[in-house]
Amino acid sequence: MSILLPIPVVQLLQLVTIAGAAPGVSGVIARAEARLQGRRGPRVLQPYYDLAKLFRKEALAPEGASWVFLAAPVAAATCYLTVPLLIPVLTTYPLPLGYMGDILGGGFILALASFLVAVAALETGSPYAQLGASRAKTFAAITEPVVLFVVFTVALLTGTDLPYALAATVRSSAGQIIRPAHVLAAAALFMVILSETARIPVETHTGTNEFGMIEEARPFEHSGPYFALLRWGSAAKQLILYTILINVFVAPWGLAATRQAGAVLVAMIALPAKACVLGAVVAVIDSSFAKLRLFKITEFASAAFLLAVLGVFTLYLGGG
Amino acid sequence: MLPVQAPGVYAGGANVIAVLILLVEFGMFRQALLRDQVRLYASQSALIAVLAVLVGAVRHLPELYVLAAATVALKVVAIPLVLRRLLRETGPAGAPAAGADIAGSGGLGLASTVLIAIVVAAFGFFAAGALPISRSAAPVTALSVSLSVVLVAFVLMIQRQDVASQAIGLFSLENGISLAALVVAASLPLILEVALLFDLLLAVVVFGLLIRMHIGRAESLSTADLTSLRG
Amino acid sequence: MDVVAVVLLIVPAAAAITTFWLPARAAGAVTATAGIASFALAIALIPAVSRRDLALLGFVRIDALSVVFLLATGFVYACAAVYSIGYLQSAGAQGAAGQRYARRFWAGLNLFAWSMLAAPAMGNLALLWIAIEVTTIVSALLVALEGTDGAAEAAWKYVLLASAGLAIALLGTIFAYYAGAHVLGPSYNLAFGPLLRVAGHLPPTAARLAFVLAVLGFGTKVGLFPVHTWLPDAHSEAPTPVSALLSGSLLAVSFYAILRYYQITAAALGPRFPRDVLLVFGVASLLLAALYLLDQQDYKRLLAYSSVEHMGILAIGVSFGAPVALAGVLLHVLAHAAAKGNAFMGAGVLVRKFGSKRVSSVTGGLDLLPWSGPLFLAAVLALSAMPPFGIFRSEFEIVTGGLAASRNAAAAVLVVLVTVAFLGMSLAANRMLLTPRRDPAPARGEPSVWMVVPVAAGVVVLLVLGLHPPGELTGLLDRAVAALREPA
Repeated sequence: MSILLPIPVVQLLQLVTIAGAAPGVSGVIARAEARLQGRRGPRVLQPYYDLAKLFRKEALAPEGASWVFLAAPVAAATCYLTVPLLIPVLTTYPLPLGYMGDILGGGFILALASFLVAVAALETGSPYAQLGASRAKTFAAITEPVVLFVVFTVALLTGTDLPYALAATVRSSAGQIIRPAHVLAAAALFMVILSETARIPVETHTGTNEFGMIEEARPFEHSGPYFALLRWGSAAKQLILYTILINVFVAPWGLAATRQAGAVLVAMIALPAKACVLGAVVAVIDSSFAKLRLFKITEFASAAFLLAVLGVFTLYLGGG
Repeated sequence: MLPVQAPGVYAGGANVIAVLILLVEFGMFRQALLRDQVRLYASQSALIAVLAVLVGAVRHLPELYVLAAATVALKVVAIPLVLRRLLRETGPAGAPAAGADIAGSGGLGLASTVLIAIVVAAFGFFAAGALPISRSAAPVTALSVSLSVVLVAFVLMIQRQDVASQAIGLFSLENGISLAALVVAASLPLILEVALLFDLLLAVVVFGLLIRMHIGRAESLSTADLTSLRG
Repeated sequence: MDVVAVVLLIVPAAAAITTFWLPARAAGAVTATAGIASFALAIALIPAVSRRDLALLGFVRIDALSVVFLLATGFVYACAAVYSIGYLQSAGAQGAAGQRYARRFWAGLNLFAWSMLAAPAMGNLALLWIAIEVTTIVSALLVALEGTDGAAEAAWKYVLLASAGLAIALLGTIFAYYAGAHVLGPSYNLAFGPLLRVAGHLPPTAARLAFVLAVLGFGTKVGLFPVHTWLPDAHSEAPTPVSALLSGSLLAVSFYAILRYYQITAAALGPRFPRDVLLVFGVASLLLAALYLLDQQDYKRLLAYSSVEHMGILAIGVSFGAPVALAGVLLHVLAHAAAKGNAFMGAGVLVRKFGSKRVSSVTGGLDLLPWSGPLFLAAVLALSAMPPFGIFRSEFEIVTGGLAASRNAAAAVLVVLVTVAFLGMSLAANRMLLTPRRDPAPARGEPSVWMVVPVAAGVVVLLVLGLHPPGELTGLLDRAVAALREPA
């Protein structure tokens, strides 16, 4: 088909893809993990049903919570809807709104969302929510330098901060894929993503292990549609981070090079498929390793930092 | 800053292997069990053999295949075997085998040590970057990595406080030097390279004798009591 | 003459193999014979290298510089072998344990001496490194032979630090190979002669890096500051004949390796850079040793620090560069081997007599040891550059060379620090030898005649070197100095 989609439609489709596919990817990961552990597992579309159920339920707020408690999930969801506009989701060419912010800008917006949810959790006065919020912020601070060095690697490789430019560079030759700076930066980013999306070895994604909960404890006190927004928000964050890793570092193929409807449709299917493959890898890691004790998470972060720093070194000082 | 050109598939692959060698060196910081450290040393030596085969294939230096085979025979099979047998001996009075011992470490925690090692590795990168090296068999980044491996191995030897870990640190230092040799001295006559490897085996045997003597005297691998000679 | 060189290389190895199976008395005789034979063979090589360098078997290369170090090693080997007969006898170790100790001792001694004789004869840099590595691992086992806690600790420190240093030296060798490969093509074998001939065309950065790494790496084995920390421990905890070999020969042979790299680097970059590097290391070692000598409680450790001092003097002497200074350096190698061997052997007699290595436990040495006492005093005075011994002549030549090369400040520093070292050594010697004995004293008399003869021979050699070195020797030294000053 040679229908040319107008740019705003493509931009909207980016949002729709992320927003719509996010719970699906979570469902695929849950099912894959269950299968690896010998269980049948929930159906792939289960998160959608959960969200629908939650939207129908009543919302409660603890006494003493202010408007921040109710506004935070909405604001976070807005942030998670903004970031897909900045990163290469469906197309190889930057869309107009993509110049609103670069990688650092995207990082800031994600951090803002996380911050708002943390503040809301602190407001509740519930010990578990506060525990989760404080831990999440501490570990986010520890993994910040890693993200910065990954961004440095991107900047040194392409001369810009735009994720589209790095994706184009990686696509340009096989030598760009196998160079150590690229491999190390991708590995470091993957470790950060494991930490941010609350997967082993940092945290158990399912279940309520109070002594180990970091991210999962923050939405403890929310209920009803707000809880649904938070659940959907964490799934969206997961898919956004996967998208950054896949479409910028690891496998930037299958994106639409033109505005043709057919190409865009292929991209819309390709992205969730690639994300599911990455999710399967994460499920394998989930089932193979044990969760790290909390004080050893600094070792995990230092290992990620080591990878990121070596990436910058080999690039800047070694020419590789 | 202009976009950095990709160095090419061969250079990228060789550099990745070199960086993996450095990462294994860092991995030795984490491993607490001595037999895991021996395994890491064996894997590091295997990576060197792989890189030797790669360089030999691309640069048409068939002697490097023989060198790779000798490396595997000596450093991946023979030396870890000697070390494992040494650690497997039980101490006097039925003390548990030393292989399961936790490696003694200094006062710094793992994260701080890794940060210090990163700074030291950075120094190695800077130092090698200042050298004008032309006409090298492997990419020059690997030389920077090899100097970093040597320096990080020194940090490992300083930080560990038991004889077996210090010995393994020394052997991994020699691995770093083998990596440097692959970059700048890839066509060193084969007989000299094999002589160096056998010399290493001799050194390992002597180290083993001394470690056994140490175990016999102190009934542990710790060097914390080796403080009587001062001044 | 090639036969002489081959026999010289085979004799100690054969001795090592045979002594492993012989009973103790026979092993001692074999070793002493091997030692004296080696020294004689080394002397026989002097006229051989007066006209040309010996090259045989493709990897052996002996020139005047090598013969100087072969002489030093051969002499200490001979003395230590004879001395060890008395040393083991007076230890009185009987039974199976004594036999085992004796067998390991003799075999190890021969093997150690063989490796130290092989190193100056090696014709390429890689084999040189391998030979010095072999000396390290053999001597580490010998240091640990006593089996005490101190010996175990000293041996571990020694082998770890020396191996790490030699790894750095290997890196230096690799860079030297890289530098040579630029000119000689990729598959040359680091042979010394060709490398010297093309040294003018070597890439400067690689040559500079190779030299610094070699000085740092081999300097670990020489005992230069700051990588000398294993030296006092190893030299004081080893059995006395082994200490004599370590201090007298091994340090010198490791310095030989540095001299070879100096030759190449001076030809490649000009003499200024290597001389500056050696000056820094030399002055630092001398300063550290002089200060530590002032306060030592263990007299074998005292002698070890004196070794550090003399190695620093060697480095400073090479850094002066004038011909008379270089001649002084090579004479110093010979004289220091004799004097330090003597001193350690005398210290061994003191250990046997008084049963302790502490300075405070030993008093009245001159009274109780009618031969070893004065000989030890003579050795200590010789080490402190007292005339008429050989070290006075060599240090005088070094200082003269320094003044001739306008390095007045460095020469002055040398003299001052040597005086400080003399102060430290003489304080200890005074306490040990000249103060009258107050406690209940052991009986007067020598523990063994075998322990006196080598020391006396050493003092005679020192007198000869100091008063009137034989003509052939000065000819040899002149030829070696010429080799050091310009490429062959």
